Amino acid sequence: MDVILFTIFNGVLYGMLLFMLSSGLTLIFGMMGVLNFAHASFFMLGAYFAYQISEFVGFYPALIIAPLVIAFLGALVEKYGLRRVHKFGHVAELLFTFGLFYIIEEIVQMIWGKVPVGYHVPLSMDFSLFTLMGMSYPAYQMFVLTVSVAIFVGLFTVLTKTRAGLIIKAALTHPEIVSSLGHNVPKVFMMVFGLGCALAGLAGVLAGNTLGTEPAMALMLGPIVFVVIVVGGLGSLKGALVASLLIGLMQTFAISLDYSLNDLIEFIGFSLDAESLWRILVDLTIATLAPVLPYLLLVVMLIARPRGLFGTRDV
Amino acid sequence: MYENMLSYLKSFSSWIILAAIAALLPLMFDSYFALTLLSKMGVLVMFTVAYNMLLGQGGMLSFGHAIYFGFAGYVSVHVLNGIGSEILPYFPIVLFPIIGAIVGASLGCIIGYLSTRRAGTAFAMISLGFCEMATAFTLIFVVFFNGEDGIQTDRVVGPEPIGVSFGPQIEVYYLILFWTLLTVVLMYLITKTPFGRMSNAVRDNPERAAFIGYNVRHVRWIAFTLSAMFAGAAGSLHAINYEHIGFESVSIVQSGQVLFMAFIGGVGHFLGPVIGAIGLTYLDSVLLDITEAWLFYLGVTFSVIVAFAPGGLAGLIVMHGPIARTNKSLLLGLIKPYLTAIGSTLLGVIGTIGIIEMLYFRSLISRGEGEVVIFWYEFNANGFLSWLVFSFLIIAGIYLCRKTYPKARESWDHAISVVKSEISS
Amino acid sequence: MNRIKKIFIISIAFLFLSSSAFSKDTIKIAMIEPMSGPLAAIGLDLIEGLEFFAERINKAGGVLGGRHLEVVAYDNQMIAEKTIQQLRKVIDEDIRYVTQGVGSNHALNIIQTLKKYNKRNPGKEVMFLNHSAVTTSFTNELCDFYHFRFDANVDMKVAGLVTQMANDPDVKKVYLLNQNYAYGQSFQAAAQRLLAERAPHIEIVGDELIVPFGKVLDFNPYIAKITKSGADTVLTGNWGPDAARLITAGANSGLKVKYYSIYAGIPNAMNQMGAKISTFTPIIQITESHENDPDHPAWLKEIEAEYFNFSNKSPYADRQRWMMEMFAAALEKAGTDDPTAVGFALEGMKSRGAKGEVFMRADDHQMHFDMVISHISENVEKPFIYNGENYGMGYITDGWIETKDITLPTTCKMKRPKKS
Repeated sequence: MDVILFTIFNGVLYGMLLFMLSSGLTLIFGMMGVLNFAHASFFMLGAYFAYQISEFVGFYPALIIAPLVIAFLGALVEKYGLRRVHKFGHVAELLFTFGLFYIIEEIVQMIWGKVPVGYHVPLSMDFSLFTLMGMSYPAYQMFVLTVSVAIFVGLFTVLTKTRAGLIIKAALTHPEIVSSLGHNVPKVFMMVFGLGCALAGLAGVLAGNTLGTEPAMALMLGPIVFVVIVVGGLGSLKGALVASLLIGLMQTFAISLDYSLNDLIEFIGFSLDAESLWRILVDLTIATLAPVLPYLLLVVMLIARPRGLFGTRDV
Repeated sequence: MYENMLSYLKSFSSWIILAAIAALLPLMFDSYFALTLLSKMGVLVMFTVAYNMLLGQGGMLSFGHAIYFGFAGYVSVHVLNGIGSEILPYFPIVLFPIIGAIVGASLGCIIGYLSTRRAGTAFAMISLGFCEMATAFTLIFVVFFNGEDGIQTDRVVGPEPIGVSFGPQIEVYYLILFWTLLTVVLMYLITKTPFGRMSNAVRDNPERAAFIGYNVRHVRWIAFTLSAMFAGAAGSLHAINYEHIGFESVSIVQSGQVLFMAFIGGVGHFLGPVIGAIGLTYLDSVLLDITEAWLFYLGVTFSVIVAFAPGGLAGLIVMHGPIARTNKSLLLGLIKPYLTAIGSTLLGVIGTIGIIEMLYFRSLISRGEGEVVIFWYEFNANGFLSWLVFSFLIIAGIYLCRKTYPKARESWDHAISVVKSEISS
Repeated sequence: MNRIKKIFIISIAFLFLSSSAFSKDTIKIAMIEPMSGPLAAIGLDLIEGLEFFAERINKAGGVLGGRHLEVVAYDNQMIAEKTIQQLRKVIDEDIRYVTQGVGSNHALNIIQTLKKYNKRNPGKEVMFLNHSAVTTSFTNELCDFYHFRFDANVDMKVAGLVTQMANDPDVKKVYLLNQNYAYGQSFQAAAQRLLAERAPHIEIVGDELIVPFGKVLDFNPYIAKITKSGADTVLTGNWGPDAARLITAGANSGLKVKYYSIYAGIPNAMNQMGAKISTFTPIIQITESHENDPDHPAWLKEIEAEYFNFSNKSPYADRQRWMMEMFAAALEKAGTDDPTAVGFALEGMKSRGAKGEVFMRADDHQMHFDMVISHISENVEKPFIYNGENYGMGYITDGWIETKDITLPTTCKMKRPKKS
């Protein structure tokens, strides 16, 4: 029982990190239909900016400033880049962000070099808050958890209770009508894109010091974010949350489970020749297969139910 | 009858000329590296044209096309190794692309069945998912894929009829050339068939195609399978060329590469991917050793083309077709404004490249000296003069661009209006 | 129009005025490493190191009557295809010596490609000087006359670590954690074998293979398993994010174990993890030498000071020095730059190491030397400096492993060419 509780807790922590990263993208994707390949790049930029700013003034100012800077950059990209490409279609937008991904990665290397930078957890939070099963949990991880929950609550409130939120939600499903009602839809797009990037940047600020801040970060986290938003459903914040937690739990449980198909077979009473080819297949533990599982889920979801768990629009 | 044959030959004349040039290239470029590069270009031309069957003609963006390319390579390597250790009967290397084609077609059939249920962005995401899964599989199932190391092979196996062993690179080049020409011609002919047209129709307006009575899903599925089949053929030649296959050939990086090539070359035109494949392969292999910032340049070039010339290079060339056909002198009249515009851009670009190279250099190696090689000459990255020079070039470039671009635009508009009036008259 | 022309001409003139040209005639060593992409820093640092040692030799008079050694770098971007391509370019340019070390799979490619090439082109052989690719099979079943390895292989390094562990009273229960690919698996196999042979009193309480190359973002489940097993030591071959995240997660959870590793404590990792995490629990590594060793010889300190002036970095890989020194000596001994003669000269050659003599075993072309076991600490006289940045940490010696303890039998049956 202990183990299960512990695994759930770890899964939730990991899942909330994924949520922070993907919440912005689901909004962007849901509204503009733009699959922003460079979303994880903004995550990376957030981590690097936080590192640089905290070198000068400390972590807490960086927590506020870095996401704002990223929001500004995101808005610029939307206004001068994406908007120009918009008229060529979704494929072109996707490809543009694909090129952007490469550009940002190279610029990061030009400025900060190719080695991981020493971005560390702030000392004020670098102590153990409590222990569970012999493992202590640092206060910083709880802080990250709190912030991600706060983001969810904040975003949810804004989108459902405020006027701006209602306009955004309307533009998500009926952009033409919203435009004909007199709202400046391009401006709304730009702000949402900026907001989405800022969220990614914030995730970077919070996670960069534990995951490691290096130029390859964007490539490592990029694909799994797509899985999350597709599984959750485009444009659905609730869906992103559920999908993130689902994938976080799935991966954490998978690693903790050392069982393979072979264990099952032997449990039933059979046994396969240790040298046979089949043995190699069934000897694979779930833990080894853990990284493949999210993509399996992605493919299955897209084939069976393309609108995802809570989506309102088909992909 | 002779007239028929002659006119038939004439329409193929450009193909024949291209083929002849390609066949004679090894006379000029006979080093091991150059032949390897030419062989690689051949393989990638095949792969990119096959990919364009899906993207340009079918309207389906796939991030997972490397799966068929890579897996065909893996199977080919295993077969080759099997022949080498005499577990398998002899199969001539000349026919290996057929093995690749079979692998590609089978995998394409299965994965295509699952993927083509959706279109557009959903399709792209499914392909991404499959690609990641395939890469993970190659790293997990070590018995078949040998993980990180990949699999080595020796292409000099079996009897050598006519003394051709495929040891020397030049023999591999001609093998690849033969198959590339064959498959590209086949793919071209496919575009001319009713199926090819249907593929285009499904790309342009799936709803309408469905209303006419065609099974959109079936058309897409077949296009997918065919595209995967040719990609597989390319994959086996790839394995023979390098005598090695690794997980990178299945990964998203490889898929991304072929996407870049197809798009920059131009997806709207059949020969676009050919241009893209040849051009990018050359730049990719040569720029590698000249500058460390080449990934940056690639990204920028790609984004610029996406934003300003989504028809790719082929699109730009074809754009001038009507002008050439209407009045040759109009085309000539465009040359001068184009040259000045290009010249000014080049100036600014050289300046930018200089600054970027120096930035890169400073970020990577901070030792005492600051000598960095740009454009085959040494510059001092720490010296003020170099920075000044390149900044000046950028400013001069921008200034000149502002002067020359409007002129180029004017000439273009003029030329087009002449064409339009000719057509309407 | 005239104004525009003038500006063009002036600009081009400027360009040429501020530059200068260059060229030389030399004995070239091609170096194929990643110069762009995620591992570029490691590649570029290694290139810089070899260039430094080549320069030293050139300044001291060069080889074979004043000829200079020149390191020519080629980028492979860590792509197998590019490695092969660059190798073919190297062959085209008549370069007879190739070196590489970042990424054992690329070394494997080079070895296999050169095997075929050397067989098909007698008289034009190319030699592979391997400075860091540690896969044991390269000097066992894959051994080749034209391959020389200047670093200790995986089995040797694990033997060294296990020897130290056997004498370490704190080590009673060890957890094996490795990356699930060829290198990690060979580390695991070597660890299992050598622990049984040399330290039977140590209990193996866990043995795990993880998905490699940074795919695992959350190491907490593994930390939980290690905690539950009661291990006091983790023996791991992990490198890069797989090592840094493991140790970071461990430190954050308060896990107090010793990490016996090969690459977990490299300078890049130290910096990434930070002083607090790097010193929370001992991170132990095995290398050929380090600056803060109490018996560090004066002649080596001198060379390292020169290196620091050249590159603005603290020294780390002494094997680069003896590789270039031995290569130069072999050229002199052979009296020619022909790889076959140089190969015979290198077999059995001795050189100087930090603790004593080092030598190249003739049977399998594997370098043998004393190795030092050290852990990361802030209490060092010479903290590690990289490009001017002071990491505030360095290594403290825990013990030396004698060459005889890391000398292992080889299965190599080398086919040698005829001595010309």
